[in-house]
Amino acid sequence: MLKQACLARPGGPSVLTLCLAICAAALSFPIRGAQIAGGADGDGVLDLKGKPVDLFASPAAVQVLLFVRTDCPITNRYAPELQRLHSEFASRKVNFWLVYADPAETAAGIEAHVAGYRFPGVPVRDPHHMLVKRAHATTAPEAAVFDAAGTLRYHGRIDDRYVDIGKARAQADIHDLENAILAVLAGKAVAEPETRAIGCSLADVE
Amino acid sequence: MKRSFAALSVLFAALLTGLDGASRENSSPTFARDIAPIIYRNCSGCHHAGEAGPFPLLTYEDAKKHARQIAAVTERRYMPPWLPQAGHGDFEDERRLTDQQIRLIAGWVKVGAPEGDPAECPAPPNFSGAWKLGKPDLILRAGHAFAMPASGPDVFWNFTFRPDTKSTRYVRAIEIWPVGEGKEACEQCPDPLSAARIVHHANMLVDRTNSVRRLEEAPGSGFAGMELTLDRNPFDPASYFLFWKPGTTPYSEPDGFAWRLDPGNTLVLNTHLQPSGKREWIQPSVALYFTEKPPTHFPLLFQLEHDGALNIPAGARDFVVSDDFRLPMDVDVLAIYPHAHYPGKLLEGYATLPDGTRRWLITIPDWDLNWQAVYRYRTPVFLPTGTVVSMRFHYDNSGRNPRNPNRPPKRVCAGNQATDEMGHLWLQVLPRGRGDRRRELEEAVTRHNIEKYPNDFAAHLNLGALMLSRLETQAGIAELETAVRLDASRPEAHDMLGSAFESVGRTGDAIVQFREVLRVRPDYVNARYNLANALAKSGKFDEAIGDFRQVLEEFPDSARLHDQFGQMLARGGRYEAALAEFDKALALEPSNETARNDRQWVLKNRLAGQETPH
Repeated sequence: MLKQACLARPGGPSVLTLCLAICAAALSFPIRGAQIAGGADGDGVLDLKGKPVDLFASPAAVQVLLFVRTDCPITNRYAPELQRLHSEFASRKVNFWLVYADPAETAAGIEAHVAGYRFPGVPVRDPHHMLVKRAHATTAPEAAVFDAAGTLRYHGRIDDRYVDIGKARAQADIHDLENAILAVLAGKAVAEPETRAIGCSLADVE
Repeated sequence: MKRSFAALSVLFAALLTGLDGASRENSSPTFARDIAPIIYRNCSGCHHAGEAGPFPLLTYEDAKKHARQIAAVTERRYMPPWLPQAGHGDFEDERRLTDQQIRLIAGWVKVGAPEGDPAECPAPPNFSGAWKLGKPDLILRAGHAFAMPASGPDVFWNFTFRPDTKSTRYVRAIEIWPVGEGKEACEQCPDPLSAARIVHHANMLVDRTNSVRRLEEAPGSGFAGMELTLDRNPFDPASYFLFWKPGTTPYSEPDGFAWRLDPGNTLVLNTHLQPSGKREWIQPSVALYFTEKPPTHFPLLFQLEHDGALNIPAGARDFVVSDDFRLPMDVDVLAIYPHAHYPGKLLEGYATLPDGTRRWLITIPDWDLNWQAVYRYRTPVFLPTGTVVSMRFHYDNSGRNPRNPNRPPKRVCAGNQATDEMGHLWLQVLPRGRGDRRRELEEAVTRHNIEKYPNDFAAHLNLGALMLSRLETQAGIAELETAVRLDASRPEAHDMLGSAFESVGRTGDAIVQFREVLRVRPDYVNARYNLANALAKSGKFDEAIGDFRQVLEEFPDSARLHDQFGQMLARGGRYEAALAEFDKALALEPSNETARNDRQWVLKNRLAGQETPH
């Protein structure tokens, strides 16, 4: 909403830049956060202590959402690749979030999962699939890339290693998530903004 | 009109399937009534804690959390994993859902995966975590845990076990736990339940020739390798598939089919491990179940293969490797084990009977190394003498095969690495007729190998050994001479050829061969023993005695060898020294009649004044 208003506002480049800066810093995110949270406390996105959390309130050039399940082997096998991506972008204002969409999953279970596989990023719970819907995610593991303005720029597979459940290449040829982050950081369009992720269904844990 | 016809056919179907069927037609599928029986029978065996399935499938909640996934993977028959094509071989423990079961699962998911009435739900199977065949007779534990990296390619790791059995035992069954005994965590395995999931399958081999000592850094350290070649003893070839895959009840051999475990044998467990995303520690245990009944049936494992023809150009989409073997006797095929690596695609095995009819042994339309298995026929497949057993393995070495390990594709040849290829169709056959007929079949297999590979050292060596055993000594010598010509560095060929020469009185030629062995391998005790005897026979006692002493240094506690040494000394007229050896033999084994008789003979001859001054 606010972003559209900003863009619609007439003025020179300096005004636009200023406006975007304000958007990023303060104005837009509480509103968007409220939209994501869906209203009452506890209905929306939560941290592991059960407190509402707004992913988009933290300033970053890129927000990477990784939809995961604790009981999905393909999710787990991607832990080393996600560690690699995390360290690659650690110094470049890229936030990694681990989104657990299974409402039955406990905080202790999530903590053990993150620690066991050394998943990078901040774990959050999305029991009402607010983030799932916003990212159009269907699968664990699936990645979604949002730019600083909160616009969804990519969602889908992390890379092309899996062709199907149980059918994998020896190594990935196309690193879709990495390419998407690089494109957003470079201010370019993501070449393949949507791909099909292979893994476990998120709708099964709605 | 059309409508009433449809209604009539529904009614007719209901009448045919009975009332129960009719009520099912009219209501949506539920977990309790329709899905639980399918899942408990086909999925829960692997899908429970401690097994390979990545999540449990024991309750409604478990199934609901994966409902869409279950529908998807059953629909394309990825789960339950079962590679053979229906109708091409009738196998035990078949894990194939019917089309109706698959439709039922899809229908259940479509209506929201309801639970239904819990009262209708059967009890889930109970997995106690204990050894499935009861208390084992012997539990062997790998000496070292293997640390599996978090990521990277699959790993093929071999664990070795050296059972401390004092006498020959007969083994009827084995069971394998990937991460320790029972459900107990091994000390070095921090997350055994997770580690259990990375062991895809395992193959155990019995090393009767101590071949693995060449592969292991230290006994028990284990070693890497996808394929494992053990020296094959033509008189005691492998007879059994000792294959393990998750979620199955271990196979127990019927009476009379136990396999022999001799003192000194090494068991090698070849495991296929898949990275889980975190480091895992694997330290398997193997349970052995013995029987007192020695084997009375002697099956044989042999393989169809043509690795020599495995030379697949990069990009080839349908490269075929074939082999055909004519059976020299009536056999029953008990089990079959197709094996290829990643470019393997369509694997076919069939028999052409003497009357020309074709009988399918197995077809795997979409080969997947990850789900390889041994398939046992529900009823053994009888194949009469003259049947030709064939394999046709098709390979896709193009970029279109996602499993192709080489990107971009490159030429693939036969080899032991995961990036090489293989094409083996192993059969377990039981020759008809009485007794152990493995040797006859082994000879035919060996001759077939020589047709394929005229310069194969091992085939000529084994054929030579078989000919010698049939007392066709000249033919045996010819094969062995070919073997040593093909590979002069292999001591066993020279040793066997030396023994063959010895048996036809060519002692001088024999000595040359035994000396050749010891030049290559000074620690080859068998050859030194043979050399000592050959030297003694040709009157070279001083040399013979020196060599025999070295043999005795290796086996100082052998009464038999002390006695033989005594005989040698006595033949050389060294009676005092001979008596000393007989005394040693009798001290070690007071009941040794031969040594006692030899001793008395020497005493008599010495008294007769035949002592040669020493």
